[in-house]
Amino acid sequence: MPRENMTEWDNELYQKVDRYNLVPNLEQCLQCGKCTGNCPVAAMHPSYNPRQIVHDILAGDSDRILQSEEIWRCMWCANCYRVCPVDIHYPLLMMQLRYLALENGYGLKYVTPINKYAYRAFTGGLTFIPGQRGVDKIKGLREGIGVEPWPKVSEKAIAEYGAIFEQTGAVDWMKALDEVQAKGEEKPVKLSFMGGRLIDERYDTE
Amino acid sequence: MSAMTQNRVVKAHERIPEIPEKIFLFRSCTGSMEYPGTEHCVEFVLKKLGIEIIKDADQSCCSGYILTCSGYPAEPSLAVTARNLGMVEQRYGLDTYTFCNGCFGYNTELKHILDHHPEYKKMANDLIGQWGYHYEGNSHVYHVQELWYLLLDRIKEMVVRPLTGLRIASHYGCHYLAQQYGILDEGDLPTFHEEIYEALGATPVFFKERRMCCAYAVGRGFTHPENVVQPHLARKFDSAKEEGVELMTTTCPGCNVALDREQPKLAKRGFGPYDIPVIDIGQLIALALGAPIEEIGFNANSTPVEPVLKKLGFLND
Repeated sequence: MPRENMTEWDNELYQKVDRYNLVPNLEQCLQCGKCTGNCPVAAMHPSYNPRQIVHDILAGDSDRILQSEEIWRCMWCANCYRVCPVDIHYPLLMMQLRYLALENGYGLKYVTPINKYAYRAFTGGLTFIPGQRGVDKIKGLREGIGVEPWPKVSEKAIAEYGAIFEQTGAVDWMKALDEVQAKGEEKPVKLSFMGGRLIDERYDTE
Repeated sequence: MSAMTQNRVVKAHERIPEIPEKIFLFRSCTGSMEYPGTEHCVEFVLKKLGIEIIKDADQSCCSGYILTCSGYPAEPSLAVTARNLGMVEQRYGLDTYTFCNGCFGYNTELKHILDHHPEYKKMANDLIGQWGYHYEGNSHVYHVQELWYLLLDRIKEMVVRPLTGLRIASHYGCHYLAQQYGILDEGDLPTFHEEIYEALGATPVFFKERRMCCAYAVGRGFTHPENVVQPHLARKFDSAKEEGVELMTTTCPGCNVALDREQPKLAKRGFGPYDIPVIDIGQLIALALGAPIEEIGFNANSTPVEPVLKKLGFLND
């Protein structure tokens, strides 16, 4: 089991994860497991366990958690946060944990594909602008119900939206991930929390 | 117990003490592209209720969705939120109403961070100051569903197409119910959508997995492979079918994409078939209030709504 083999411990892992200081109360975690009991992903995939992930961040089990495939399964529904007796904002913890994993070269394949929509948002001011065929379809649908063919987004809005991403370094951050991937330097993720798991028979992966 | 937990559930008239004459309507990307009927119907109902709508082409996307995929760092989203909400405060002095749980949730969360972390508020204001914006944080963010519930008596009086006998179930959406800073109803067993259905003459249906997440899941096909999303959704729809749900409503175009567009794909995988049409609750109210059917925009749906309209006898209108 990975637990016994781990040698890399990092006493500052929690501080490294919570870089924006958005989850200052993580150490109050009672390990009660209500998060896991309310988690729809844990219900389908028992190796995903929010309680365990909080525990490992506090314990500093850096290796296991950063190369974990499980951390990419969170759906961000926030029901863990809703039921947490000490108000730990688990979704914001997960967002920041993923930043750290990405910067260590793990899990890029889960993020870079969606960035094409981010790049399109910089030039369109809207998220999830589809390709040309999709755009034509939307225009047809909108005209069919009697509204202008495309949502009104001003040039000013688009320019400022894009500039915010440029000036905060977000675009550079995204491009750096693309480069790591292009060089083939992305590190593989693996199931860190369970040797086996229940898989629906319709899917013959793994 | 922290202060935020104490104030989690708030009564409609406490949350919105004065019925607004004028609101700022926050455009949703998905709600105006994937399902343009959603935006159109929300405006139709607001006009029927006598509420003036202000929109602004300078508003951008809320930028929350890709943030939750960890697609970019948090600074741009904080600044974008400050820019959008600051613009509304400066130009109109109005509260912001969204018609997407995503826009509602991300704006609320990011606003909460800006309001409680002076260093981020300063960072955002320094950045947006170059275009003359300033975010103060003196307005509120609401979802239009809160207005529907607050003005339910008015809506009830205006029903011209009662949805008699239609078995409707609700999908409230996590990014509304999982909010910690003031929502209309209890996250475990919310019922205010069901009260809306009753006011429209329909029959509310409760099913076991009604509270289950839609699994749109921060980028299906990107962050989430099918084997995470599809069995999850199948469980939800199996439970809905068991209770004889004929129509499902959402308050989030994102949830609508997941629940509507995914049904044909589930059928291909051997789940279902379910054939439960999914529409926005604004479209449902617009339907009952007599909006022309071709303007409601049901043709954007992948799971056809026509069988329900036929059953109600509305297609020969």
